[in-house]
Amino acid sequence: MARLRPALIVLALIVTLLPVYWLVNTSLKTQVEVFTSPPTLWPQNLTLQNYVDLFTRRRLGQYLLNSVIIVGSAVFLSLAIGSLAGYSLARFGKNLGQQKLNFWVLAPRMIPPVALVVPMFLILQKLGLVNKRLGLMLVYTAFNLPFVAWMMRSFFEEIPIDLEEAAMVDGASRLRSFRDIVLPLVSPGMAATAIFSLIVTYNEFFFALILTSTPAAATLPVGTAALIGKTQTLYGEMAAAGVVAAVPLVIFALLVQRHLVRGLTMGAVK
Amino acid sequence: MRNRLLYWALLAPTALFALAMTVLPLVYSLRASLQEFRLGRPPAFVGLQNFQALLHDSSFHSSLGTTLIYTIFATGIEFLLGLGLALLLKEEFPFLKVIRSSLIIPMVIAPIVVGIIWRLLYSADVGLLSFAVQALTGKSFSVLSDTALALPALILVDIWEWTPFMFLILLAGIQSLPQEPFEAARVDGASPWNIFVNLTLPMLRPVIAVAVLIRALDAFTVFDQVFVLTQGGPGTATEVATLMIYKTAFRFSQFGYGAAMAVAVLVLVACFSAAVTRAFKGSV
Repeated sequence: MARLRPALIVLALIVTLLPVYWLVNTSLKTQVEVFTSPPTLWPQNLTLQNYVDLFTRRRLGQYLLNSVIIVGSAVFLSLAIGSLAGYSLARFGKNLGQQKLNFWVLAPRMIPPVALVVPMFLILQKLGLVNKRLGLMLVYTAFNLPFVAWMMRSFFEEIPIDLEEAAMVDGASRLRSFRDIVLPLVSPGMAATAIFSLIVTYNEFFFALILTSTPAAATLPVGTAALIGKTQTLYGEMAAAGVVAAVPLVIFALLVQRHLVRGLTMGAVK
Repeated sequence: MRNRLLYWALLAPTALFALAMTVLPLVYSLRASLQEFRLGRPPAFVGLQNFQALLHDSSFHSSLGTTLIYTIFATGIEFLLGLGLALLLKEEFPFLKVIRSSLIIPMVIAPIVVGIIWRLLYSADVGLLSFAVQALTGKSFSVLSDTALALPALILVDIWEWTPFMFLILLAGIQSLPQEPFEAARVDGASPWNIFVNLTLPMLRPVIAVAVLIRALDAFTVFDQVFVLTQGGPGTATEVATLMIYKTAFRFSQFGYGAAMAVAVLVLVACFSAAVTRAFKGSV
């Protein structure tokens, strides 16, 4: 067993990373080279043409812009509103039954997305918000909120209440003590929560597919999926789109690794 | 008293927003499920007719079966592999941090991109895996258009993507266990296997429950990778429930029937969650 351990770890690394490498590898090959047999293990004629084509001929920039606007404002809005709720739960929510709260915060997580998407589409259609960035932005904000409130609550709870009370005894208002004392202390947690919401919404596909299907509003995952349909065997471009969609998020995720477990389980495991 | 007011004032926007986006659609969904609701025609109330039709809709049943197989195998194998990895990496090892970071990459890649990655491996013309199998066996290999292999192939994709999730959570769980019982057991001369079965596993129960529940719920409503890789085919071999509802509502514009299916899935998921929560009572 002890001797097997390094071998098993290396095996796990290969199985995990080889497919990712293959994506990057394919994205840097010419269309001709993609089809050579046996496949080349690294690009023989390294080219960025696939990436250039994506942005010049396939409007990937537009999808990227939509994603940035929708996800950016949804994350900002849910953080602004959800942090208040998190603060409220951390400071005044002690008398509420923990069990009950757990249920109400986690329950939305258990609703299958497909049970919400049909009515959501019909409602947004009535409001004229289908194929509008605003529509998807509101949906994402709502989805993020319980998560943000719950995460922020756990971060607020880690800040001793005495600090705040001391400031208030010295004559600061609750608002001032919140702004000057609590907020700076909680900002790393807030950043982690923001990145989490960002990962979830930026990667989201199902709602985006149904609520935004035109280039004016469609997000990067929807644009990428449409691209797969159009390019069929242009594997190089497909791979390049995959790299563009994945890279920023992988970097962000590695930044918040320390909080990853807490985020994934909504605080159930720390 | 002022605190109480502040408590609710700060909480209200989140609560209202979240309710508006969950309870409201659910109620709307329930109503739509009782209607004959097609695009371009005014919805008409038909009572439980949609649900009666569901009871006799064999393609819906087989889609639920496919989803169940997918969920059980994906979640089960991910749990075993994740637990194995967590045990493998719980003690010091050179470059442990880098290894850990590398192992969680699949989980944070967008499912759509995961679909692309596996297209590059599975496709019959350029796929790396197809090439490898052909080189080894001499037979051409086209997994995604094979009725028997398409579903296992999709499950494999799920395992690749989500084993890191199980690994990460179980590792955190194992590392947060108190050390004393383990030391005592070692002093008493218990074998590693004994310690694992009688100490580690029981103490890990709450963490296992959370991890399995979250993963199973997500697997049961899988959509993205299936959409990119097979669109439910060949035939209906990989038509999971969410995909079928998507097609019914948005390709065939049968909103009422689609809503009824969604309600059925919701009820199943709720029963499942309740069962798991009860099975792990006191630990969730």
